[in-house]
Amino acid sequence: MRERDFDVVIVGSGAAGGTLAKELAPLVEAGKRIAVLEWGPRLADDAYTGHEVEMAKQLYFDSGGVLTRDRTMTLAYGRAYGGSTVVYTGTSLVMPREVVERWDVPGIVHDDLQRRSAKVLEENNVHLLDESKINENNLLFRAGCTKLGYRCRQFPINVKGCRASSLCNLGCPNGAKQGTHKVQLPVAEAAGVEVVTNCRVTRVDEEGCDAVVADPGFGLPSAWEPGTYRVTARVVVVAGGAVNSTALLLRSGFGDHLPVLGRYLTLHPALILVGEHPREITNDHGHPKSFYCDDFVESERFLLETCMYFPFTTAKNLIGFGAEHSELMRAFPRLQMILVLAIDPALSSNRIELNGDGEPVVDYTMTPAVLDSLHRSMVESSRIFFAAGARRVHAPAGSSFFINAEDAHRVDEMIPRANVVPGRMSVTSAHLMGGCRMGRGAGDSVTDGWGRVHGTTRLFVGDSSLFPQCSEVNPYVTVMALADRTAEFIRDNAGELLTS
Amino acid sequence: MNAMKSLPKSAAEVFLDVAETVTPEVATLDAEGRSRMIGIVDAALMDRDSGTRQQIGTFLKLIRFAPVLRYGRTFDRLGPERRVAVLRWFQDGPVGLFRQGFWGLKAMVFMGYYGRPEARAEVGYAPEFDGRGGLGRA
Repeated sequence: MRERDFDVVIVGSGAAGGTLAKELAPLVEAGKRIAVLEWGPRLADDAYTGHEVEMAKQLYFDSGGVLTRDRTMTLAYGRAYGGSTVVYTGTSLVMPREVVERWDVPGIVHDDLQRRSAKVLEENNVHLLDESKINENNLLFRAGCTKLGYRCRQFPINVKGCRASSLCNLGCPNGAKQGTHKVQLPVAEAAGVEVVTNCRVTRVDEEGCDAVVADPGFGLPSAWEPGTYRVTARVVVVAGGAVNSTALLLRSGFGDHLPVLGRYLTLHPALILVGEHPREITNDHGHPKSFYCDDFVESERFLLETCMYFPFTTAKNLIGFGAEHSELMRAFPRLQMILVLAIDPALSSNRIELNGDGEPVVDYTMTPAVLDSLHRSMVESSRIFFAAGARRVHAPAGSSFFINAEDAHRVDEMIPRANVVPGRMSVTSAHLMGGCRMGRGAGDSVTDGWGRVHGTTRLFVGDSSLFPQCSEVNPYVTVMALADRTAEFIRDNAGELLTS
Repeated sequence: MNAMKSLPKSAAEVFLDVAETVTPEVATLDAEGRSRMIGIVDAALMDRDSGTRQQIGTFLKLIRFAPVLRYGRTFDRLGPERRVAVLRWFQDGPVGLFRQGFWGLKAMVFMGYYGRPEARAEVGYAPEFDGRGGLGRA
């Protein structure tokens, strides 16, 4: 086993890891050594081909199809230099005050998160896309919402020089999306932070971590030779995402004194609905996600967003098969899509565990209330499609494959609640939160409000696994704001923390 | 019949029969297209552990022989309508494990068929790296 020594090791390079790397980089000037250990590859700019299967394999765990234990949901999370920020759409929302208050974590207050979020938004060039750059898939959603009197808001997004490829979820081929691979990590590297890709951390403790570097067969070579490593460090920050950070701590034995570790996982369970228009619309050019409707968040606990997916992903998310399925797929140029997300409660029973091989298993059950939310969201989305002029709609719980426009007035009965059954619909999640929740003490949480693991002095967690409940909005800005906070704590206490 | 490294020959044959029912256009693919489709599925399965591949093989065997109880014939000897009926039973039936298994199988078919680069043009999906000119296309 080879040995390496650093003052700070950050596990993961996504929204949290990238932010931590940049915010701690000034310590390098003071003589401190910092490394970021990233499981995924670093891809060359010309490796972003936009080909669905190829990019999914290179940029997501299990090609974006990690299954939950009961196989009723698939989970999509990234694995790359930049983590999931390489494959998100860059929608940049600040968590609402009422959600921060619901979290009720000592030290976490809205004004502080708001200030840090504002810094993130500025750093990532977050802005509203000019109207002329918004495609019909998005404009029709707004038109439908407006006609029905639903509140529709535009997503601020973090792009620079967007060329409207629409391929955000496969990694921007133009390098326009301002993920950590474009903004924070290059700044950190320029300051002397070492980023090691293709490096999987297998165990962690207060003195460092064990890691394995392996060539995945694609991407640029890692800075370290393939092999096993013992990496010693004064401070370790785990920022590998909700599933992998939690699994790492479990595998390292922290579950023995932290009974909450792995629990209270929330996922924003999501479904895709498709409306077919009588004419072709622009849907495969332009940013895929321009608008959202949060009118139903408080009353029915769901959020509606525009979206546009690729042929395989779309096919997988439609219900059924055979001639009707093919017919809808061949109507691709006429398709409008809506993504619905349920605001799910944080339950102790929804958790990340390890299997016999020490690999994470996500044990998640959708509650009746979540299924109610998904049901209502399908009904409301169908109304929006029809209000926007769709000739027919495909809803995952529809009583028939298509709901035609002449039946628009009875979508309630065409989408029966009884059809909303786990395992019959393609439910997905790209917002994985919890598992290492922040809180007051080891009885109710895994870390304190700074992300420091209870019972340790130099081990921190810095990603969405910290969320004690779901964020109710797209989470990356909040992840970065929390990471900024943790970095500040480490900087302010460097004298104590970074001394052997 | 293109060989698959990930599945025994008999399982691969059932997979293709299922694929033609799930996506009827599979039957119209030429040899190259079929080879590309199988190659995508094969590569994805080879990335999975051997236990998962074994489970898929067992599930395909189940699909092959389950119709014997109802129709007195194996899946490969059924006509298109009965094949659809059998797969609908797996999709909508009371056994959760079968529903989930079929969902996974269906996803593999879609990955192979719609994951082919030429499938984009076939369904009319045509993104461009510089898509600005196409924003007002429709």
